[in-house]
Amino acid sequence: MAQEMIEGINPTRMELLKLKDREKLAVKGHSLLKEKRNALIMEFFNILERVKGSREDVEKTLTEAYKDLTAAQIVMGDLAVKKAAMSVKEFVDVDIDSRSVMGVVVPVLDSDIHKRTMVERGYGFLDTSVKLDEAAHKFEESIKLIIELGEIEKTIILLAGEIESTKRRVNALEHIIIPKLENTVKYIEMRLEEMERENFVRLKMIKKTMEME
Amino acid sequence: MKSNIAVMADEDTVTGFMLGGIKKGYPVKNMEKAGEILEDLVKKDFSVIITTKKIGDKFRETINKLTSERTLPMIIEIPDKTGSIERDSDPMRELIRRVIGVEMVK
Repeated sequence: MAQEMIEGINPTRMELLKLKDREKLAVKGHSLLKEKRNALIMEFFNILERVKGSREDVEKTLTEAYKDLTAAQIVMGDLAVKKAAMSVKEFVDVDIDSRSVMGVVVPVLDSDIHKRTMVERGYGFLDTSVKLDEAAHKFEESIKLIIELGEIEKTIILLAGEIESTKRRVNALEHIIIPKLENTVKYIEMRLEEMERENFVRLKMIKKTMEME
Repeated sequence: MKSNIAVMADEDTVTGFMLGGIKKGYPVKNMEKAGEILEDLVKKDFSVIITTKKIGDKFRETINKLTSERTLPMIIEIPDKTGSIERDSDPMRELIRRVIGVEMVK
């Protein structure tokens, strides 16, 4: 592993110069990618702070919402609840934007769900129960939380993917490509020096034979 | 950008979210069909799709394929009215562990 080199390289000066350029580029790329990786991981930790507890919040509000919904269904009957649900006006309004974290496009959701009054919901009061109002209110709350959670989880998934691929590239450069280039450069330098020494000896020999004649 | 939200879940959950103000509800009557509905919804350009954990567990691969590369849509899994299922490996936690290398307390 340590002695691995690039195959099929001629030990010439031209080749040496080319390789040295490539090595310089690889080292530069490696340090840049390392910086990118560190920045991504930092962002990842920031997001992790936000995800803490937000899944629990969603589950808690939802459990309450389901409880109220079931209660409403018991009081009013399945069909009546469904009917009321059908007549609720579309109310969720979410703007999706995106921001870029080191080249990763992550969504930013701007949910505009303010509390509705009972009249705004759009179902009639004559044949509906209080439980239905409570259920609707709880579901509105949980929708807001769910959307927030979705944004965070999506960001985590996207960032994680990018971190993994960046990590892989950093490691490939650090452990395979750069050592390979270094070894090849060393090999060519040694070959060139050896050739120079051979030449030197050869010249000496020629000189000696010429003097003897 | 204006967004569309869809709910794809069992009937009661859909009713609940309709009450909450999401009108695009797709009740799933047959679990086998859920995967097709999901792919359909993605094609219809919904940006947020809410579904239940049960469906999520069943179609994990489809969901990963649909969401891992792109920014949108986001598919959010929530517990249904039978309550949260205890899973030995939360996919989210698994992902975090893989990236950071150590187990993080949620």
